[in-house]
Amino acid sequence: MSFLIPCPHCGNRPQPEFAYGGNIGDDPPGSMLDVLSEDLYFNDNTAGEQFERWFHRFGCERWIVIRRDTRTNQVSEGWEGVDAP
Amino acid sequence: MKDLLRPGRMWRTGLPLKKRYDVVIIGGGVQGLATAYYLAKNHGITDVAVLEKSYIGSGGSGRNTAIVRSNYRTPEGASFYQASLDLYDDLSAELDFNIMLTKRGVLSLAHSERALATATERASVNQKLGIDSRVIGLDEVRRRVPALNTSRDVTWPILGALIHPGGAILRHDAVVWGYARGADRRGVEIHPFTEVTGLDTSGDRVTKIRTPRGDIEAGTVLSATAGWSSGICKMVGLRLPMKTYVLQAFVTEPIRPLLVETVVSTQMRLYVHQTTRGELVAGAEAEPYPTYQGRSTLTFIESISRYLVELFPAIRDVSILRTWSGLCDVTPDYSPIIDRTPLANFIVSAGWGTYGFKAAPIVGVTLSKLIATNQVDPLIKPFGLHRFTDDRFISEAASAAMSH
Amino acid sequence: MRLPRRDGETIDRDDRRTFTFDGKEVQAYAGDTIGSALYANGQRIFTRSFKYHRPRGLSCAAGNCAGCLMEVDGEPSVKACTRTVQGGEVVRSQTISGSLERDPMRVVDHVAGPVTPVGFYYRLGIRPKAAWPHIERMLRRMTGLGRVGEAPPKPHRADVEHRTAGVLVIGAGRSGQEAAARYAAEGRQVILVDERAEYASLAIDGVEVIAPGTALGVYEGRLVPVHADGLMHRIRAEKIVVATGSIDQPLLFEGNDLPGVMTPSAVRRLVGLWSIRPGTRAVVLAADEAGDEAARLLREAGTQVVETIDLRGVRPPKVKAAARHGLLAAVEIDGRKIDCDLLVASAGRQPAYSLLAQSGCSVRFDAEKGIFAPDQLVDGVEAAGSVTGEGAAVLAAAEGAGKRTFVCPCEDVTAKDLVRAVGEGFEDIEIAKRYTTVTMGPCQGRLCHLHSVRALARATGVGEAALGTTTARPPWQPTPLGDVGGRKLNPGKRTALHDANRRAGAQYVWTGVWRRPDHYGDAAAEIKAVHEGVGLMDVSTLGKLYVSGPDAEAFLDGVFPNRISTLKVDRVRYGIFNTDSGRIIDDGTIIRVGERDFLVTTSSGGVDQVYEAFLLWVAERKLAVDVVNVSGALSAVSLSGPKAREVLSRVTDVDVANEAFKFLDVRQGAVAGASALLMRIGFLGELGYEIHFPSTAAEHVWEALMKAGAEFGILPLGVEALKALRLEKGHIIVGIDTDSETTMLECGMGPMIAWDKGEFVGNEALGRMNERGADRALVGFTADDLPNEGTAVLVGGEVGGRVTSARRSAVSGQVIGLAYVPAAIGSEGSAFELDLGEGRRGGAKVHIGAFYDPDGERMRG
Ligand SMILES: Cc1cc2nc3c(=O)[nH]c(=O)nc-3n(C[C@H](O)[C@H](O)[C@H](O)COP(=O)(O)OP(=O)(O)OC[C@H]3O[C@@H](n4cnc5c(N)ncnc54)[C@H](O)[C@@H]3O)c2cc1C
Ligand code: FES
Ligand SMILES: [Zn+2]
Repeated sequence: MSFLIPCPHCGNRPQPEFAYGGNIGDDPPGSMLDVLSEDLYFNDNTAGEQFERWFHRFGCERWIVIRRDTRTNQVSEGWEGVDAP
Repeated sequence: MKDLLRPGRMWRTGLPLKKRYDVVIIGGGVQGLATAYYLAKNHGITDVAVLEKSYIGSGGSGRNTAIVRSNYRTPEGASFYQASLDLYDDLSAELDFNIMLTKRGVLSLAHSERALATATERASVNQKLGIDSRVIGLDEVRRRVPALNTSRDVTWPILGALIHPGGAILRHDAVVWGYARGADRRGVEIHPFTEVTGLDTSGDRVTKIRTPRGDIEAGTVLSATAGWSSGICKMVGLRLPMKTYVLQAFVTEPIRPLLVETVVSTQMRLYVHQTTRGELVAGAEAEPYPTYQGRSTLTFIESISRYLVELFPAIRDVSILRTWSGLCDVTPDYSPIIDRTPLANFIVSAGWGTYGFKAAPIVGVTLSKLIATNQVDPLIKPFGLHRFTDDRFISEAASAAMSH
Repeated sequence: MRLPRRDGETIDRDDRRTFTFDGKEVQAYAGDTIGSALYANGQRIFTRSFKYHRPRGLSCAAGNCAGCLMEVDGEPSVKACTRTVQGGEVVRSQTISGSLERDPMRVVDHVAGPVTPVGFYYRLGIRPKAAWPHIERMLRRMTGLGRVGEAPPKPHRADVEHRTAGVLVIGAGRSGQEAAARYAAEGRQVILVDERAEYASLAIDGVEVIAPGTALGVYEGRLVPVHADGLMHRIRAEKIVVATGSIDQPLLFEGNDLPGVMTPSAVRRLVGLWSIRPGTRAVVLAADEAGDEAARLLREAGTQVVETIDLRGVRPPKVKAAARHGLLAAVEIDGRKIDCDLLVASAGRQPAYSLLAQSGCSVRFDAEKGIFAPDQLVDGVEAAGSVTGEGAAVLAAAEGAGKRTFVCPCEDVTAKDLVRAVGEGFEDIEIAKRYTTVTMGPCQGRLCHLHSVRALARATGVGEAALGTTTARPPWQPTPLGDVGGRKLNPGKRTALHDANRRAGAQYVWTGVWRRPDHYGDAAAEIKAVHEGVGLMDVSTLGKLYVSGPDAEAFLDGVFPNRISTLKVDRVRYGIFNTDSGRIIDDGTIIRVGERDFLVTTSSGGVDQVYEAFLLWVAERKLAVDVVNVSGALSAVSLSGPKAREVLSRVTDVDVANEAFKFLDVRQGAVAGASALLMRIGFLGELGYEIHFPSTAAEHVWEALMKAGAEFGILPLGVEALKALRLEKGHIIVGIDTDSETTMLECGMGPMIAWDKGEFVGNEALGRMNERGADRALVGFTADDLPNEGTAVLVGGEVGGRVTSARRSAVSGQVIGLAYVPAAIGSEGSAFELDLGEGRRGGAKVHIGAFYDPDGERMRG
């Protein structure tokens, strides 16, 4: 079992209860390939803090947003909804 | 015998960093070192520096489970990895360093008709390319791996398997050190503990490589930084089609010989083999979220242990000794990216995911050719970035997500 | 030798136990460990070392080394000194190829020491190439410690308990006890764990004690698995106090691994816990008070203490231990020879910081004390007692780099090996560790980590601080796979009709997480029933999502590539669900039950992914739509075959006449008295109805339909019949006929896409692919021979695709199937070959459209 995710609906719950739904707000695409190709397949793959979406699969069954540092898996906060606060 | 008892230095240490090199390779993993070796050996390019932020092999190259195989699903993948295996076959002699490669075979269990279909497909594709790979029935599975629980009275009974006799395991560190020694002897400079902290560009060229030990210029810059590739590319304003995940593995205490083959079960999400020393080495698929944090998870050892004991009831009391993890750079189609970039002197090799160790020799040969002659070898052509504009993937998800 | 009864001993002299060791019976008391009992019975050689087969014995008596590894009841590599005697154990020595005393492999030690230096194997067996596989096989046979599979493993408890703790204190020494008592007094819920059995009877007010219980690691989110005899407590703690103390560090000298050389704490445990006299003549060399304490205990135990040297502040003496018959017989100190059978030696104590480091705490070298100590703690983790470095110090002396001076006894790595590795260029601790395997044995670096870093520091001239430590990794103690894994737990989902199916004779298969009937004894008869009479299939595994709200129509137009807004109430339409990059994820049906109400069905395995994607789309666009997963609430059956209408008419109030209930119509009504949603669809190629109803009524509806169909010879249908029947129609099954790259364009479903309706999932990617045209096509084919699924399609001798499904048609007797072929040959009648294996090839021809009833008259009639 891994780190804890602060679900705004359910409280601190272990990560395996959630499904990862990608990060929010990558850099604008298009310096390597055309915009569409990068938009479809490329990502920032940030080493650091990012906003990301998780679905609380074995819990409230809602999408939430958290801020996680991908270098440490430190999750600083969780929000309702799917948009970066 | 003399060399046996009195081995000399493996490589020079404490070299000063020059101001300029013909080629700078970022990343002292197996791929960077192999490329450096073949640059020197095949192309006579020796003004090369390998910059490694930690010790050599500190990335995936020192953490993988050293499965070397070519029974991939796509013709592009299978022929590429087979070419690597052919080089591996003679690598101990080539490097004069025993990489302890042993062809004990890889056995991928099929617990369902779906899995049998995938096995059939892989066998078909492999055989067409002359790769020894075939589907075997339960009897042969039993004969080869008597320790397996092949009873029907389990959750997922075994129906058959894909056997790949040419699949091997080896001592990963030996490959890293062998290439490093070979490159060093030919004049390549290896600089451990030299992190690249920035790349300056001007026009369509990388003009400066920044490190805490000083700035460097280079004719050509290669990024061979696997899980860290996105960070390096970001320094020059590029992004890649990959995410970094963590893959874990563990090793048990050594036991008397039990397994010959590497046994893979995609259904149970695990693979296991026994080293020459007798340890069982087991692993699984990557954690399902991107991260650069390499701490092991408890869920991982729990599920792998449970399934291992289900597959091999006799090892119930064998103890786990050590767990570890490493970063993996995974692309949407589980195939690598080896290509030039919009920057004329910047080349990227990335997307090696959980399977890049086996590719090192062929990557070294083809990438050094690309750097030295600007020619794209037919073997790596399919792995260019164009496949993302063409939406034409080389999909190895079915053959690489689980069995590395 | 057992001493007279002593205060504080943990053995119960009135409770005698026995076990066997290598076939001989051994007497023990309750409270003994296997190791203590053996020692009390005079056993001195416990095992032999990994590489050189050197004799090894009890050296720490505390589970910190590898000197006492044995097989206990089939469990290999048990640390005998910490395994409590239950009575009746079958204990065997391991790593031997003879007896412990006379292991013929011990010649390795005599001859091989000098010829198998570190890194030896990397230079061996390179040429001729053909020799290496033989050498490798020989090496395999020589190595490996424990045997497995010879004795059936004893039945074992292997359970998991999920716990929480306000404060988890690890280590029940003085500081651990104090911390536990303090937090308990504050009203916190405290759990105290210690791996030592002697703390089992510890009682502190308000504190739960788990002993013996080993904290295996500190994982993210302050999760600590505590292993207590087959029971794994997974403790999620608000606060962790690490009070793991410090560990006696061995002294490095020639022969430091001989049986008879032990640490002061081993003496303390042998005498204090088990009342055993450790030896007859002893020399004590120590660098802290532990030496004096050991000397005092030894005297109490009747051991003659010949000499005690406090190594602090004196010039480090040159020490050499000598052996007779593999056992310590004398020690030479600065050339002075002293006969003895016990040498208590310690260089001091090093904090046992591993769990702290795992929690993320940094570690620094304290040059003054010569130890690594925890530095920056992380939130929620505290350190108490000597693990902080308080009162711990280790001598710098560590004299000598002899060829039998073992820095790492587990792996038989000598000081000389390390110096040699540095000479070869392995100057960093991590890389030297990999080259020499130092610290990689079962002691987990407890006794060798500090010494190896310091040896490297000396050899390289780089300070310990710069060299740093190796990464601390779980588990803290080697732990059996079976205990880590716990009970077998492979949940399989069952439908509400599982029992009804079983009664009907179902043979089950796994489809994803579901157990589904593959057939009920005779798949061919089931297929025939559908073509000629009627069949009933449990399709409750379908995912069912109820989509409703003012924006429901717009929402469905957004997530599906075809147009849903034109779907009329009481009609049903096929739909494909794609990824953003235009690849197929799943398929299903969209059923319009009202202006703003839809039921969307998905495949059995796809529902979670589709549900989550639906909710995300709704949330992103802030649509007024509710998506409810009703998969479990509703059960479903499909009733198919020419007699289906007649059967249905007997149990429903819905008008089922062809004109009243047309193909792709949807009706609501009662079926066998249960309220149901009925739709006419034709996945199986004949007249067919899919009926959804509350799961509570599932068995009732099933039985009613079976009864109504009895006179028409109704049969229950399994997955095999489904696969065969739908293949006749050329219908794909997502996951069997599609892979992670399949697009609708490749499956001939391009015309379904409503390009002009604006944004929908995957529209940009599909648009681009559509312009360029697909490379491959999923087509039907007929063939001469039945290929296995997965068989390669050959075009011009090259691999051009693969067979995804194939059967011999029950209708035509022909081999029919679906396959990927290059788009260029994707038209009716194109010929290609199938690679049938062993060089055999078979002919095949593309067939576009359904094989059976291509105009769909039967399902519409
Ligand atoms: C647990 C595990 C099991 C695996 N099993 C297998 C297997 O069985 N078979 C197989 O073929 N593959 C396997 N792999 C994958 C394989 O290990 C990798 O694909 C392979 O090692 C990649 O080699 P590399 O040289 O490209 O990268 P790496 O070895 O990761 O090297 C990249 C190097 O770049 C350095 N670096 C990063 N950033 C910088 C910077 N800014 N400046 C300087 N240096 C930098 C890093 O320190 C690192 O040493 C496994 C991986 C893991 C983690
Ligand atoms: S004596 Fe048993 S582990 Fe040290
Ligand atoms: Zn929640």
